[in-house]
Amino acid sequence: MNKKRPAPTAAAVLCGGMAFASIALTGLLLEGPARADTAGIFDAEPFSMTEGRQIYEHICRGCHMANAGGAVGAGRFPALTKDPALGSRQYMALTILRGRRNMPAFGAKYAVGFGGPPVILDEAQVAAVVNYVRTNFGNRYTDAITAAEVGALDRSTH
Amino acid sequence: MTEKSGTALSRRRLLTMIGASAGATAMYQAMHSLGFAAESKFQGPIRLSAAPKGASVLVLGAGIAGLVAAYELRNAGYQVQVLEYNARAGGRNWTLRGGDRYTELGGETQECRFDPDLYINPGPWRLPYHHRGMLSYCKRLGVALEPFVQINYNAYLHSRKAFGGKPQRLRAVQADYDGHVAELLAKATRNHALDAYVTAEDQAILLSSLRSSGALDGNYRFVKGFDSSERRGFERDPGGGMSARPAFSEPIALSDLLRSGLWAALSFGAAYDMQTTMFQPVGGMGQVGQAFARELKPLIRYNAKVVDIHQDGRGVSATFEDTAAASSRQTLRADWCVCTIPLSILGQIPMNVGAPMASAIAAVPYCTGLKVGLQFKRRFWEEDEQIYGGITYTDLPIGQISYPSSRFFADGKGVLLGAYIWDMRNSMDFTSMTPAERVSKAVEYGSQIHPQYAKEFDNGIAVAWHRVPSAMGCFGLWSDAARAEHYDNLCAFDGRIVLAGEHASYMPAWQEGAVTSALDAIGRLHERAVAGAAG
Repeated sequence: MNKKRPAPTAAAVLCGGMAFASIALTGLLLEGPARADTAGIFDAEPFSMTEGRQIYEHICRGCHMANAGGAVGAGRFPALTKDPALGSRQYMALTILRGRRNMPAFGAKYAVGFGGPPVILDEAQVAAVVNYVRTNFGNRYTDAITAAEVGALDRSTH
Repeated sequence: MTEKSGTALSRRRLLTMIGASAGATAMYQAMHSLGFAAESKFQGPIRLSAAPKGASVLVLGAGIAGLVAAYELRNAGYQVQVLEYNARAGGRNWTLRGGDRYTELGGETQECRFDPDLYINPGPWRLPYHHRGMLSYCKRLGVALEPFVQINYNAYLHSRKAFGGKPQRLRAVQADYDGHVAELLAKATRNHALDAYVTAEDQAILLSSLRSSGALDGNYRFVKGFDSSERRGFERDPGGGMSARPAFSEPIALSDLLRSGLWAALSFGAAYDMQTTMFQPVGGMGQVGQAFARELKPLIRYNAKVVDIHQDGRGVSATFEDTAAASSRQTLRADWCVCTIPLSILGQIPMNVGAPMASAIAAVPYCTGLKVGLQFKRRFWEEDEQIYGGITYTDLPIGQISYPSSRFFADGKGVLLGAYIWDMRNSMDFTSMTPAERVSKAVEYGSQIHPQYAKEFDNGIAVAWHRVPSAMGCFGLWSDAARAEHYDNLCAFDGRIVLAGEHASYMPAWQEGAVTSALDAIGRLHERAVAGAAG
């Protein structure tokens, strides 16, 4: 491909010697979120809700719908009712952590963002929403998953 | 529970920082290395030699990629058939206008109640000047283009956390950022802090350039006065007669500006994909899909839901259901297949391809973009605030408000893009709402920037891309790791099937990615077809 490189501008040439530029960048990288909160305003807040119902209603409901019945169009979003796969709490937790086909991953190791950070759910949040779905919408599973079990699952995979 | 935060610096934040602190060239280079800002590979209209006699192609999906493929293959003499899920062509190239009805997944139907000639583009809405493929098809198909105002210095940057929530004009933030940075650099230069990097002769030139670029005064200071007001605007504009004398405006203090975070938006319009001049089709982006549809009319079968794709050594069969007629399944067959069905859906359709392509199809989740169009009783943004086109950026969940780039000064109602949300956090949240809730939230948030909303709001319509039955997602969300492992396998022929679409490009979400991927795919298809016929 015949790509024309842009001529370096004065600002770009200078930036190597611009102490404040490299400090600003390094500072952000090292200090992470605390500093970043005051740095750029246009990234969304992290998802901090903790209850299973809240997580379902603000994330999962977008595709799986208010009654967890899923939907059918050119393809489908699976219902989270009467699905034998829900019998495995580990399967559900792993699906949320790692994503599955068009469903995005929510585990910190796998989640991908665009135009901002990805939505990341921690071990406790994953456990909460798994337990919520498995005990609502007509589901009556009694074997709850714990945050520790989600953490172990997350570490057991790569 | 403790407050959670990602520790990794987001790519966009990194790019924004690079852009803000090192200038557009560094930003461009960084974007390029990260896979964005890829120049369109369009090299002018494709010239295929004559198709082998009787050769046929099945095109799945009548979005931009499918339409381009069908148009060019037909022109080369292939027998082309197109299957499309929707009752219209264009795919995500789509315009909603008054009288349109739209039913999203979950069953909610919205009726668009905009006045005649008013619309929103739920999907793509702007064409960079270097997206030569899209521009070329607009010209060839007679789709009239007009300027799309991306950068408006009189639009706002807004943060709930800065300046008491009062929106600031882009003009002032840009001038003050440039001015303060230039003053600092001038100080560093004159204090000999740059002697190790810049020769004495070049330092003199640098100082002149800083005075010019930052609107500094004769003492290399960025201060209230004529020079700075000429950039950031006046407290009272100069005029004629007895009231002629201008009043200068006070720049924002450096510390306030830095802490506001508003500088994070300054690089948005400097990105290669956003630079002036940008275009939009007159009457809505959907004009492009409609123009292709007129060209290809007899070739496109609408309301066709593909449920199975099967290839053998001699051709490809696609089985589909007619969603309008609830009839039994039908099958079409051709020598080759260009499949442009979004991966969000294709991953669920049985198709006998090898593991490399199948794994690639399964490796790409979809971004959750969302738009809300709001009709108001008058164009208050023009009448009250002198905002003609362009975009206000905000840290509110709506992300941005875009003002129409056409029909300036028109009487009557006007339509704003009241929310364009593509960060995952807020777009998932908005997707989870009902359409009416999305509209209501967009009005509630937007009124923090434009108080006129409360009195002037008329009606609205909301499109969440994960709820769009034909797309089930906004665009392919490639991670760098997934792209490294799967991208080539996604694009490579598998037997007689080749994929095309923005998902098979390095230009995520852009229609130009769909165009260039389609041209690349049919070029390879043609080589195979010709070689096969000769052999």
